[in-house]
This record gives sequence, structure tokens and C-alpha cells, in this order.
Amino acid sequence: MRNKVLLLLFTLVVALSSLALAAPVKIGFINSITGPEAPIGENLTNGVTMAVEDLKKKGIDVQLMKEDDTGKPQISMSAMEKLAQDGVAGVVGPYTSACANAVAQQAMKYKVPQLVPAAAKEDITRQGFTWVYRLNAPAHNYAQALMDAAFNLGQPKSIAFIYESTDFGTSVSAAGKDYAAKKGLKIVADEAYQKGSPDYRSTLAKIKAQNPDLVFMVSYVADAILLMRQSREMGLAPQAFLGGGAGFDTAQFESEKDISNAVFSVTQWTPDMGTPGAPEFYERYNKQFGKKPTYHAACAYQAMMIMGETAAKAGGDREKVSQILDTGTWTGIMGEVKFEDYEGFTNQNKHMMPVIQYQNGKAETVFCPGKVCKVKPIYPFPGWK
Amino acid sequence: MIVFLQSLMSGVLIGGVYALIGIGLTIIFGVMRVINFAHGDILMIGMYLTYFLFSVFGIDPFLSVAICIPVMFAFGALTQKFFINRMLGALPQNQILLTIGLGLIMSNTIMLLFTSDYKILTTSYSSGSVDLAGISVSQPLAISFFITAAITAALYWFLMKTDIGQAIRATAQDREAAQLMGINVRWTSILAFGIGSALAGTAGALISPTYYIFPQVGSAFTLKAFVITVLGGMGSIVGATLGGIIIGVTESMSAVYISSGWKEVVVYVLFLLVLLFKPSGLMGTSRM
Repeated sequence: MRNKVLLLLFTLVVALSSLALAAPVKIGFINSITGPEAPIGENLTNGVTMAVEDLKKKGIDVQLMKEDDTGKPQISMSAMEKLAQDGVAGVVGPYTSACANAVAQQAMKYKVPQLVPAAAKEDITRQGFTWVYRLNAPAHNYAQALMDAAFNLGQPKSIAFIYESTDFGTSVSAAGKDYAAKKGLKIVADEAYQKGSPDYRSTLAKIKAQNPDLVFMVSYVADAILLMRQSREMGLAPQAFLGGGAGFDTAQFESEKDISNAVFSVTQWTPDMGTPGAPEFYERYNKQFGKKPTYHAACAYQAMMIMGETAAKAGGDREKVSQILDTGTWTGIMGEVKFEDYEGFTNQNKHMMPVIQYQNGKAETVFCPGKVCKVKPIYPFPGWK
Repeated sequence: MIVFLQSLMSGVLIGGVYALIGIGLTIIFGVMRVINFAHGDILMIGMYLTYFLFSVFGIDPFLSVAICIPVMFAFGALTQKFFINRMLGALPQNQILLTIGLGLIMSNTIMLLFTSDYKILTTSYSSGSVDLAGISVSQPLAISFFITAAITAALYWFLMKTDIGQAIRATAQDREAAQLMGINVRWTSILAFGIGSALAGTAGALISPTYYIFPQVGSAFTLKAFVITVLGGMGSIVGATLGGIIIGVTESMSAVYISSGWKEVVVYVLFLLVLLFKPSGLMGTSRM
């Protein structure tokens, strides 16, 4: 009994003293706050805001240094330079693949731990950059998760790819093409497009003429809606439309009932994927910001939680932060997080992605990693109304 | 064959809207010799006007053209009167800077008012199509093509047959001579800029049911308008119409027969070839 009391007293003293000693930890956050990627960037900002609140509840005072990269790699690089000189313990971000990859080089140069929350380009954690960590699943998992879902439901034999010619679009579909070849799927069309074009009809007509079983699309925000609208116009009706995240994973896409129905997409996170705290996070976010959290918000939240806890534990020392990130394990709304070296990746979290399908204007989780979902998928594509 | 006809059809339809953008720019250039780098931003304002009318008052985007034309005409006329007019005799680079500046002010003001979120107009016919012997014709594009054709025809009649139209053409041909003949060139310039803006705004209204809207959407269209007008011949309305349709069809054809990623390249190679062999553009005499 006496021992127990002493132990309690001891822990109390340690806890109190560490609380009293806890000076704010400086953490950098690079994000697309303005510019074309701003609508998605906002979700990341909100997620980080919630994480900073939660860290405060845990007694960790974070001094957040926000930098806007406007979606441009060169600006994100100078943001990183500035943060490195300001003495941050680590950096969360940036959002887009192009920026995250540019910043990764700087992270190595200045030896600043960088935690990428939601950028999918494979190269980011494939260059042996020991200071760069990534929470989300890289591009090849997008395509794999989607094609595995399709193989689970039917016997597709051919596939058409249409994707925007950005880092994200090309890397997701390059991984998709590799996986398709491995699985014996015939690639009947391979179309990269310049984003922002008002007319994809001729490309879609060309794809329709090939009559593919699967159509795989990768695009940011609004092009996804345009592509599906014009697919409907053209009467393109494969066994399944597979949308590689991003633009196919937005509330706006969800609300377009006429064109989103039965479209599959893959995402990094859903509230129904069965990870601890996910439904609560959803509720709280919805209440606080008046809209549903996207996976970007969840990724940014989890990334900032990890960075905040680690930085506090390391006392703001970059070297120590990196050591803790190398060895630690975290469990939260993104499931279990562990930064590992495998298959040519360094410090990559092996994140399992859930597959969603839009059913009557609502995104339903139809494949949950390691669990059985409540909602059954629709397959094949029922055709246009 | 179906694929060929299909892409020809969508190329022509989208080219019609491009033509409308090009005509606006060409009229402004013809009359004032000012290259309007804010043209795409004026188009963007037309888009937001349509979006506003649709989301607040529920006015159909195609009906809102009737509101868009006078509002954008007034907007353009005022812009000309208060800003452009002061620069008419200035160095070309100063005029270019002025219009670029005006465009930036427009897009940033809109960003303040509407945020930088992408807006999408969803109407019952947004993804509708009509089947024409195996070719699917996009409903919204077909409607906008007919409106474009009607507006172009009306404009042509106006410029050819009416006194004011002749005054505009006379100013375009020779500003000083026109002034000596008693034409009020200041007023004609205001009119021309108004018409140019109204056309850009209308094009914005017509594109909005099939495209998406954001404050920086203008720059892509400014560039396109510029290519169209130069291709057709600066100052020529027929040239701009032709240029628009050529660009539309080229984009669409090269997406099918080369690759969607290369379509812009094909457009610019064509553009360079035309300039190489006919430096004044297809219809280039810089007369209207």
C-alpha cells in the first residue's frame, strides 16, 4: 500500500514537473491555403486545428507555424527553408505530391523531420530520405485496393486508364498499369489529359469504342465530376468505374447523385472503417466546421498528433524526434501507424485503405481493411438512367 | 467512323463557344488596338453572375444570358470609360499591364466574395445527351452552340447593316479618318469594349452548365482567346469564328488520334504553322 502511494506520488510529481517544464514545441505546417488546391487544403488545416486542441488537452503546447505554399513546389521549398531556420522540431505537410516531394529534398538538406500526411506520389518515401515519413498509403495502393475489389466482385478482363498529367495522376495510374499487367488485365486505353480542359468527350468516345470492363480515372476536384458527366453523355458503361481518390472522394462528387451512383473510389480514411475514435472524430469535426471531414482532415489530424506527441517527448530536438518516429507505434483514427522500411520504401506507414462506393448519393464503405463492412457493393455497374 | 464523327461533333460544338470568346477579343482589338488580357477574367465574371443567378434566384443558366448581356455590357463600357480610355494613346506594354492588372483585381475580388472553392452548376440537363444516328450530342453544348450562332449572326448584321455598326468598323479601319468624318471615336470605343465584354460574359454563361467555376478560371481562356484571334487574324470576326471552330476540332481530333496529353501541343503547332505561312492570320487584313 505504502509503495503504491509512493509510486502514485512519484508519477504525480513527474507528471506535474514535465507539465510545468513543457515549453511550447514549434511545429511547422506547410499547406495549400490559397491557390487551386485550397479547397482541399482547408480540410488539412481543420484537421490540424483539432489536433492542436487535443494536444493541448494532453498538456502539449504546440506553437504552430503555418506556411502557405499556394500549391507551388518552389514556394513550398522556401517555406521549408524558413521553417528550418525558425527552429521547428518537425514539419507536417505539404498537401500535394509535387510540393511534398520538393520539400522532402529540403528536409534532408536541413535535417528536419517531415511527416507527409496525404500526398500519394510513391517517390516521396522511395528515395532513401531518412528524414521523411509518410502516414498515408502511397499511389500504388490506390490502384491495388480498387482492382482487388473489382476482382473480388467479378471477372474483369480489360481496363482503360484516364488520368490527369500531374504527379498524382501519373503515379497512381503508372502503379495501376503495373498491377493490371501483373493481374493479367488487358490495358486497352492509356489517356493522360491536361487538367482543366472543358471537353473530354472525344477521349471518352475513344475509350468507349474499346469497350473496357473497367474504367480507371484519376483526377483532382472538379474534373472528376466533368469526366463522369461526359461519360454519361457518351453512354460509357463498363462493369465498374474506379475513381482513384482525390476528386472522386469529395462531398461535391458525392452530392452529384445522377453521375456518382455505383462509382467506386478508394480513400485513406472513412468514419466507418472501424478504426478507434473514427466516428467520434467525424461527429466532432462536423459540429466544429459544419461539414463532413474528408480523409485529408483525418490524415492531417493524425499526422499532427504524432508529430506533436513526438516533438514534446523529444523536447523539440530534431534528431530525437526522428529516432522516436523510427521506432514508435501509434494507434488512432487512422488505425495502427508505424513507419517502416519495405519494398524500397523508407519510413512508410503500411496503411490499409478502405474502398467506398457511391450509392444513391451517399458514400458507403464497402471494403474495410481486415473487417467485414455493413454495406454490400453494387456490381456490375447498373447502367445510366 | 463513329468515333471520328463523334469527336468532330463535340469539337465543332465546343469550338462554337471558343469562337464567341475570340470574337469579343477581336472586336476590342480591332477598334482600340488594345490587347485585352483581362478577357478571360471578364468571362469568369460572366460565369459567377450566372452561378449567382442560378443559385440564388434559380434562373436557368441559358435564360440568364438575357441578363448577362446587358450587365456585362455595362461592366465593360464602364471599365473602358474609366480605365482603358485613359491609356489609348499609351505604349502597348503599358496597356497590357493595365489589362493584366484589371484582370487580377477582378479574379481576386471574386475570390474574396465567393472563396476559391470550385463551384459546379447542376441542372437537369447537365449530363443529358441526344442520340443522333449513334453519335451522342451533348444537350447543354448543343443549346449553347445555337445561342452562339444566333448571337454571332445578330452581331454580324449589326456591324454590317446599322449606322453604329458601320461607325465601329470605320473606327477599326482608320481611327483618325473616322474621327475626321465626324464619328465619335471615344464613344465607339466604349461601345466596342462593352460588346466585347458582353460576348465574353455570355460565353462564360454558356460554358457554366458544362464546366466548373473558380476565380482563376480566366487565365486559361485568355490564352485560348488570344490563340483564336491571332489564328483567325487580329480584328476579323469571321476569322475568330473560324479560329474558334478550328481550335475546337483540332483539340478534339488530336485527343482521339494522337493522345489527350498532346492535344495542346497539336493546337500550338498548328498555330505556329499558320503564323509561319500567313503571319497576319487566316483572315488577316485587320479589318472587320
